[in-house]
Amino acid sequence: MPTIDISLKDISKLIGKEVTRENLEQEALLWVKGEIDGEDGDTLKIDCKESNRPDLWSTEGMARALSPFYTKERGIRKYQAQPSEVYIHVDRTVDDVRPFITAAVITDLTITEDLLKQLIQLQEKVSMTFGRKRKTVGLGIYDNDKITAPLTYKAYKPTELKYIPLGFTKEMTLKEVLEKHPKGIEYAHLLKGHERYPVIIDKNNIVASMPPITNSETTGKVTEKTKNLFLEVTGTNLEDCKVALNVMACALVDRGGKVHEVTIDYGKERIVTPDFTPKKIKVKFEDIERLTGLKLTLKELKELLERFCYDVKKAKDCLEVEYPSFRQDILHPVDVIEDILISYGFNNIEPVIPKIATRGELSEFEMFCESLRNALPGLGAQELLNFTLTNKETLFKKMNIEEYGCVEIANPVSSRWSSIRSFILPSLMEFLENNKTQEYPQQIYEVGEIVIIDEKAETGTQTVKHLSWALADKEANYTKAKQVLDFILSGLGLKYETIDEENPSFIAGRCAKIIINEKKYGIIGEINPVVLKNFSLEFPVCAFELNVNELYKLRKA
Amino acid sequence: MQDLVHSLHPLERKVIPFLKSSILFEELVEKTKLQEAECIRAVQWLENKEVLKIKTDIKEEIILGSLGKKYLQEKLPERRLLEQLKKKKLTLQEIDVEEGEKNIAIGELKKKAAISMGKEIELTEIGKKLLEKEFLEEKFLKVLPKETKDFTDEEKLAFENLKKRKEIIQIETIKTKTILLTELGKKLLKEKLDFDLIETLSPEMLKDQSWKGKNFRKYDVKINVPKTYGGRRQPYMEFLNKIKLQLVQLGFKEMNGPLIETEFYNFDVLFQPQDHPARTWTDTYHLKHPTHGKLPNDLVVNRVKNAHEEGGRTGSTGWGYKWDPEIARQLMPRAHGTAVSARQMVKGIEIPCKYFTISRVYRPDVLDATHLIEFNQLDGFVTDPSISFRTLLGMLKLFAIEIAGAEDVKFFADYYPFTEPSVQISAKHPQLGWVELGGAGIFRPEITQPLNIDTPVMAWGLGIDRLAMFKLGIKDIRYLFSQDLKWLREPRII
Repeated sequence: MPTIDISLKDISKLIGKEVTRENLEQEALLWVKGEIDGEDGDTLKIDCKESNRPDLWSTEGMARALSPFYTKERGIRKYQAQPSEVYIHVDRTVDDVRPFITAAVITDLTITEDLLKQLIQLQEKVSMTFGRKRKTVGLGIYDNDKITAPLTYKAYKPTELKYIPLGFTKEMTLKEVLEKHPKGIEYAHLLKGHERYPVIIDKNNIVASMPPITNSETTGKVTEKTKNLFLEVTGTNLEDCKVALNVMACALVDRGGKVHEVTIDYGKERIVTPDFTPKKIKVKFEDIERLTGLKLTLKELKELLERFCYDVKKAKDCLEVEYPSFRQDILHPVDVIEDILISYGFNNIEPVIPKIATRGELSEFEMFCESLRNALPGLGAQELLNFTLTNKETLFKKMNIEEYGCVEIANPVSSRWSSIRSFILPSLMEFLENNKTQEYPQQIYEVGEIVIIDEKAETGTQTVKHLSWALADKEANYTKAKQVLDFILSGLGLKYETIDEENPSFIAGRCAKIIINEKKYGIIGEINPVVLKNFSLEFPVCAFELNVNELYKLRKA
Repeated sequence: MQDLVHSLHPLERKVIPFLKSSILFEELVEKTKLQEAECIRAVQWLENKEVLKIKTDIKEEIILGSLGKKYLQEKLPERRLLEQLKKKKLTLQEIDVEEGEKNIAIGELKKKAAISMGKEIELTEIGKKLLEKEFLEEKFLKVLPKETKDFTDEEKLAFENLKKRKEIIQIETIKTKTILLTELGKKLLKEKLDFDLIETLSPEMLKDQSWKGKNFRKYDVKINVPKTYGGRRQPYMEFLNKIKLQLVQLGFKEMNGPLIETEFYNFDVLFQPQDHPARTWTDTYHLKHPTHGKLPNDLVVNRVKNAHEEGGRTGSTGWGYKWDPEIARQLMPRAHGTAVSARQMVKGIEIPCKYFTISRVYRPDVLDATHLIEFNQLDGFVTDPSISFRTLLGMLKLFAIEIAGAEDVKFFADYYPFTEPSVQISAKHPQLGWVELGGAGIFRPEITQPLNIDTPVMAWGLGIDRLAMFKLGIKDIRYLFSQDLKWLREPRII
């Protein structure tokens, strides 16, 4: 979700009507799924929620989309590229690493500091979000007067070629750029494993850039003195490269520039970019009516679509619409239908409460868990809700047991929250540790989820519900724990045994496994003083933990 | 008076016979042969019953310090110096007084103008006279211990002087409690107290009926008692249960899913492209162990794959990339509740149906008063041939009114990768004002068509935590998973 800076003065000038924070906020911004996130004088920070529409991520793009809202402009804005002799030859060596390139030349532009800022903002947002951090699409902007066409897009061996990367003074090999240049270090992974790296080189063998890493210092520096621009987009998907180029080119034309075509020679075929031919899609009337729930006349539909920068071409069995070449977010007619709804205004639609007769139902297992949760407060126990995230130190070391496999997070934000609990008791112990100054006895419980490793399972794990109970008190002992356990298990009508168990979390000789029909359902005992010390507790604790999923199965059987 | 007599605790009855118009507490303890703590309790109870008054006096008494005791026997160092000088003049070295006291002795005598200092020290006329006279300080030490309030002017002077010197005297504050009988107390003394009162009713007494004809000791029913805590449900759990009940009343069925999910259910079924930024490490947790799970049957997997690659049979263009089953197999903690809907839809549904789930989800974030690292989401979906965007707005409005108690609603266009059209709902809560209540939309055909669902599916998710915080009266979101026993024990009815 990109955030862009827009000056109210600037956007008003582009639209030709006064744009204020108020009129943006009340309605206009809803059209572009924008939300004001901050304000600094005349500049607004706008969150663009539409993460598939790079054409909206600039003042020019916002102005273009909002123009029909403020003015009488309707339909697709016309852009025309002038023919030119500029030519790029694509060498087949790039096929394996970054096969596609599109380009355009922009002239007649007065480059100001503000324009440069906007240009760089757009280039950055398109490369980062739309281009997946330059992986699928990367953009380059050059001083057109410093490069001589025709150009060649070709891949070279890492030490075969030298150039001065942007911001440096010395020539480096391609390999050195990846090792030493800040952008080289940041994006080296995109070229990792390739034998050759892509380069754009001009007629005089001057390197223009090494996409998608960095331009050359000689040609790739754009300042207020620059008269004409050369734009280039490289990537892994031709369609994306075309869209990104058109987004940039249209923005510059909106600023008064003239755009010129570049012929790209792929050997087998030649294409000319930028191509502003609108794209087409057919939308069935019945789909519009069914999905919107609105009965709209053809006239209404036409007006709604044209206000959203569509052209309506034909309307017989279905609506044939055209949309601007820079839009890549329309995969399916539903995408057009949403635009019709936005154009209509969500708050102009009368909501209809659906009358769908279904029977409401709680999950039977959840209800079983609830009956366990409701049983314990009667014995004076306080219910808790703890995080399932924890760490191995708490799960194993502090509980005085050998480590076994548990779910581990690969990218934890904090090591404190780096594993998912495999039993609940450590959560209860931590709770007691956090409440040492509160009055005793402290009797607590939780019926909650834990995760155990199960390689055979679909998700490599099993999410299981456990019930864990603990009492911290000067008179906490095995008898007290077993009384509560008995209250639950007898309450469920289950016959159980408690059989000697050795578990270092508990005091030896005061710990038992809970057995029903020769199967283990849980553990009970007095907590080992070593564990009490690990949680810095000064009162004895007795506790038990039960597998609720297994109890439920018994109950159902 | 009879009420008073019958309310006396056995301890009180033991104390009363020894009371007189005024008695020191220590004396009372000694005479009653009770423990001091028992005696205090009895006296305090009696004071509450206005039988007596406890008068506390604080007196300041000066006693001899360790050096003071020594000097009382061996004389003050200045006296010893004075006596040595009586025989002859002395140089500093010749003085026979302990090293630590030499300077003090000289200083004190100089203050009294009893010596003159030159190469040698000699007595003045005043000094010679002093040989015959007791110092004020010496007199003072002899009268100790003595209360400060009884000091004469001379004693006050000596006290001020000695106070500055180390360990000669000590100041002691002594509290004395005197028990004074009130008029009521005096009358009570005349009452007969040695009759039998029942303190605790025992099963034996009930059995042999021995309680009959006897009086029970009367209790002070106004007494403050120690706090006790009942067991309670966790307040946020109670809140969630209420929400569940409301949804069931609206005809929704509860569904569940595992905490650890494959990316397939988290994202792929939901038509989120595999290179989508929301699937990266900064936005979601990934697992170190275990890393991969299994995909469901090939039929479903292939249909999902086709939808991603070229739109399947939906009329969509798809995302136009090569879908990788290895990425879909990767495991991660559930990123959002819609994963539960995805699982339910793959499992199979009847049409019409309405589902909901309250599911734990995980986000890489830093835990603080406004952010949780794992939290509960309320999500669900509804499908029926009659569904349109208008009915979606209607359902959301119903949620806002029924669940959030909203007075008004507003809708905003929004973007969610799984739904088209998508909408965000804001609700006007009577106390909170406008709050963002949730997001919803109609599942893209690229999601439902591969799962053989031909009717439109409304998907919705509601943010209930702000509502919960309001209901529970908390400002810190961590209290939803409270680690504060004191707060959990507070009485409240949700």
